[in-house]
Amino acid sequence: MGRIIVITSGKGGVGKTTCSANLGMALAQLNHSVALIDADFGLRNLDLLLGLENRVVYTALEVLAGQCRLEQALVKDKRLNDLVLLPAAQNRNKDAVTPEQMKQLAYALTKKYDFVLIDCPAGIEMGFQNAIAAADEALIVTTPEISAVRDADRVIGLLEAHHVKTINLIVNRIRPAMVQANDMMSVQDVQEILAIPLIGIIPDDEKVIVATNRGEPLVLSENFSLSGLAFKNIAQRLEGKDVDFLDLDAPYDDIFSRLRRFFRR
Amino acid sequence: MDPDRLKMALASTSATAEGEIESPRVAEVQIHLKTEDGKLFLYLPTAHETLLDWPDLLQELQKQLDAGQRFWPPNTHVDLVTGDRLLDHRQLQMIVNALSTVKLHLTRLHTQRRQTAVAAATSGYSVEQQSQILPMAQSTIAQFALDAEQKEAEPLYIQTTLRSGAEVRHPGSVIIIGDLNPGSSVVADGDIVVWGRLRGVAHAGASGNDKSRIMALQMEPTQLRIGEWVARAPEADPDQFYPEVAYVAAGGIQIARASDFSKNVIQS
Repeated sequence: MGRIIVITSGKGGVGKTTCSANLGMALAQLNHSVALIDADFGLRNLDLLLGLENRVVYTALEVLAGQCRLEQALVKDKRLNDLVLLPAAQNRNKDAVTPEQMKQLAYALTKKYDFVLIDCPAGIEMGFQNAIAAADEALIVTTPEISAVRDADRVIGLLEAHHVKTINLIVNRIRPAMVQANDMMSVQDVQEILAIPLIGIIPDDEKVIVATNRGEPLVLSENFSLSGLAFKNIAQRLEGKDVDFLDLDAPYDDIFSRLRRFFRR
Repeated sequence: MDPDRLKMALASTSATAEGEIESPRVAEVQIHLKTEDGKLFLYLPTAHETLLDWPDLLQELQKQLDAGQRFWPPNTHVDLVTGDRLLDHRQLQMIVNALSTVKLHLTRLHTQRRQTAVAAATSGYSVEQQSQILPMAQSTIAQFALDAEQKEAEPLYIQTTLRSGAEVRHPGSVIIIGDLNPGSSVVADGDIVVWGRLRGVAHAGASGNDKSRIMALQMEPTQLRIGEWVARAPEADPDQFYPEVAYVAAGGIQIARASDFSKNVIQS
């Protein structure tokens, strides 16, 4: 039986879909079979990030309507054999499916895949309820901004009420230099409010934008990038491995910044 | 009291024009669990006693069960009191499922509605229709009569972190073991004690009792309200935190260190 993990945040634009795409790829690279479910009905993006847009034939909705088999709707990744995507319908809205139906889809996929990752839409309405219905675990993505953290907090409360007990935190788009200068919330500040275990810290990186536009998730890139490495580390932590967190502060922790921090106190 | 904290008291204003606080009425009845004569009763507010619709109500129930599960031994039997709320098979089953997640078992149902009684009976629970023993479950008039007799309900003791969007309302004092995160709120007719960080909104003495107090290990509230008074926290965070008590003194809400408060205020 595979694990069903929902990737959610509450607030939009914090990087849920980017995380889903990269973690799916990273897990597949580690030789796990992975199914990605796009639960963002009406506003689907995951196929774009994976560069699979032109391969989508059927969507989850057709599967539920009995117009095709589940296997037919699954889009195989062009690079990794172990990764498939179940696309959302683009021409419908979130009320087109029910939590029960999402459960059916996800449970059916756990029979064949080690990981079923669900990319949750923003907000806490029907789309969110659908996405979390089947999940046993959740990854909360937040950026170090109070608005994102506030929404994440609300979402954690809702997940707890739905008895999703394993909830881990990903802090996305951190800028170590700004944190050092006290202009940005630190990971500790975020954790202090949310009080859930941390599973990854991803630095802000322009390469992510490039990767998104090309439909080539960062973890596939030949060139080294800190954010790509951060995603790979999260995938390993999901496997249960103990991987040290990246030391993002290292380049900024020179004698001057130490002095500056000392005098600021 | 350090000067920064004093500013908070100055920033506090009486809730100027009446109705400025959209008078959070505690009369709205919440789901609550109560032990009476060794039996655990679960009171479900009737449709005209609450604004929550069914999914919200169920979620609220789940939260309350999670927050209180430490206080009931496993396999405790529960009496469900529904008044004139209509429940069908499915809804009843949802409640049973929620209870079973914290190892509670529904045994008996008190209702005034025939359909609800039938639904419960066919699902195999014992039913008491038109129970006279439980005035809480009766009409709202009976409820108010009860309220008048007994001004405040027994304290609500919960162990949970209140996250953004969560709200606890209780017609008595509230004791919370855990944090109040920003965006959450507690509205109580009595005192509020937070054994943790208070970062949300706390309203003590919501029915107008100025004598109520708010106590927290770490006081960083978004807003404090006591009776008709409102106060904001000072803009700058203090360097250090002590357990503190907020109370109403002449001119507004004041905050004192818990250690000083017990010396000066309680004894005087």
